[in-house]
Amino acid sequence: MRMDLVLAVLDVPGQLVRVLEPISGLGANLVTVIHKRDVKDDKGKIPVQLTLEGKRENLQRVIEKFRELEITILEMDGFVKKIIVSTILIGHIVDSDIRDTMDKINKLEGVYVSGFDIQLNGENKSSALINIEADLDKKQLVFDRVEEIANEKQLLMINEV
Amino acid sequence: MKFSDTMKDCRVIIMGFGAVGQGVANAISLKKEMIKEEYGVNLKIVAAADSSTSAICQEGLDEDLLVKTKKETGKLKDYPEYGGDKSNIDVLESVDYDCLFEATPTNIIDGEPGRSLTLKAFSEGKDVVTSNKGYLALNFNEIIEAAKENNVLFRYEATVGGAMPIINLVKDTLSSCNVSSIIGILNGTTNYILSRMTSEGSSYEDILRESQELGIAETNPEQDVEGIDAACKTVILANSLLSIPATYSDVSVDGISSITSEAIDLAKRDGYLIKLIAEVSPENLKVSPRLVKEGSAYDVNGTLNMATVKTDLAGDVSVIGLGAGSIETASAMLTDLISILKLKY
Ligand SMILES: NC(=O)c1ccc[n+]([C@@H]2O[C@H](COP(=O)([O-])OP(=O)(O)OC[C@H]3O[C@@H](n4cnc5c(N)ncnc54)[C@H](OP(=O)(O)O)[C@@H]3O)[C@@H](O)[C@H]2O)c1
Repeated sequence: MRMDLVLAVLDVPGQLVRVLEPISGLGANLVTVIHKRDVKDDKGKIPVQLTLEGKRENLQRVIEKFRELEITILEMDGFVKKIIVSTILIGHIVDSDIRDTMDKINKLEGVYVSGFDIQLNGENKSSALINIEADLDKKQLVFDRVEEIANEKQLLMINEV
Repeated sequence: MKFSDTMKDCRVIIMGFGAVGQGVANAISLKKEMIKEEYGVNLKIVAAADSSTSAICQEGLDEDLLVKTKKETGKLKDYPEYGGDKSNIDVLESVDYDCLFEATPTNIIDGEPGRSLTLKAFSEGKDVVTSNKGYLALNFNEIIEAAKENNVLFRYEATVGGAMPIINLVKDTLSSCNVSSIIGILNGTTNYILSRMTSEGSSYEDILRESQELGIAETNPEQDVEGIDAACKTVILANSLLSIPATYSDVSVDGISSITSEAIDLAKRDGYLIKLIAEVSPENLKVSPRLVKEGSAYDVNGTLNMATVKTDLAGDVSVIGLGAGSIETASAMLTDLISILKLKY
């Protein structure tokens, strides 16, 4: 797949190389680089537009590498920027106010419930699958928040590894 | 190579003569010739003990006869000529030996009798190979320090994952790497139950009952299904491979007894399986049911165990293997003994 990115890079020698260097080592190909030297921000950074090609997981590794190097990502096309995490809750889900559970998750910035499936089991405990769409860097936050809610409502939470 | 002139004896005691202890005797019977040929060492069982009796002979006992006696009468005291009523520490004091195979039951209240037997052997300058995770989960450092102080070797590969190599794999084979986490399926019984719930859509209660009938789950399944066994292994991996000085109470533990067949079904529809996962990392010491992707390294079924080790240089390394079984677990203990032979003999 292809991915378009806009990064903020300091306009001093060596900086662009620092950004481009990790790409091929992580299994991604650089398709285009556009360097806009005329739009410097107040910290002296200029936007660099990249198009990368590679397997989804390799592109994801490139993004992670950029984060590690503390390179600011200004824009990223839809795919890799968001992740969908799944979680299963078991317990008295309906009784413990399912609407409220969803609202609490949706309240997190950059996070919303994109899928929901429930199987009721009479008087017994029910099981629900929730898909949550979140910004890439919010994964742990989502898990922590859902865990808090689950503990509060005495539900068993089953998270992704 | 021929070692006939330099052949040395390695005299061993087997404490605990259940599935694992008998497996060790069988494994020695099968492999002693190979060990003679390859390492120039003559392996001799000089004592074996169950909970209240033993067989002791300085010249060496017959491995097959030990197993046969235990199977037929249930007591090692019935071993011809050399059977008797000595048990526990007394056995260690009755005979000269070089290495203790410790395979007594896991006890996570006070670690006994394994803890005292191991410390006693150390204090006499003997090496120890164990399969017993109880006392290691309670006080890992105490044991490792005691081995160091007495200048003896201590090996415990069989405590985690049975025959699946993990501790020696990371310590020896991956010794150039730093490990940031180990995530795995470390309990075969729960993996079996969850696998069957997934393939058959049956309830937890039904599959547990059947597993008990098949002898895969114990009559009292609590240690397995409530995640206690996996938590002990989590502690051992944390201490031995990630230098996290944790004890049993530091692990957050959820078992599988509240997993519903509906939850498994919902997961399946979304491309996931539910597994009892142990996570060992500086951030998380945790045993809990988790979603894993179908077709991923965690998609391992039946009683198998698996683990993925995250390393800095080698990337992710995953292993799969039999987490339990008599001769399978004994294989790990015999490999541990061979590593001692290589260093000392
Ligand atoms: N089974 C496996 O696949 C497996 C895998 C990995 C690790 N382990 C660990 O290995 C150890 C042994 O497991 P196992 O399956 O062999 O258990 P087991 O079949 O229950 O056997 C335990 C043995 O220990 C004996 N014993 C009890 N108290 C003793 C004492 N004070 N002194 C000496 N012996 C004593 C028992 O005596 P009696 O025969 O008189 O009852 C029995 O022979 C456990 O710690 C277990 O967690 C087992």
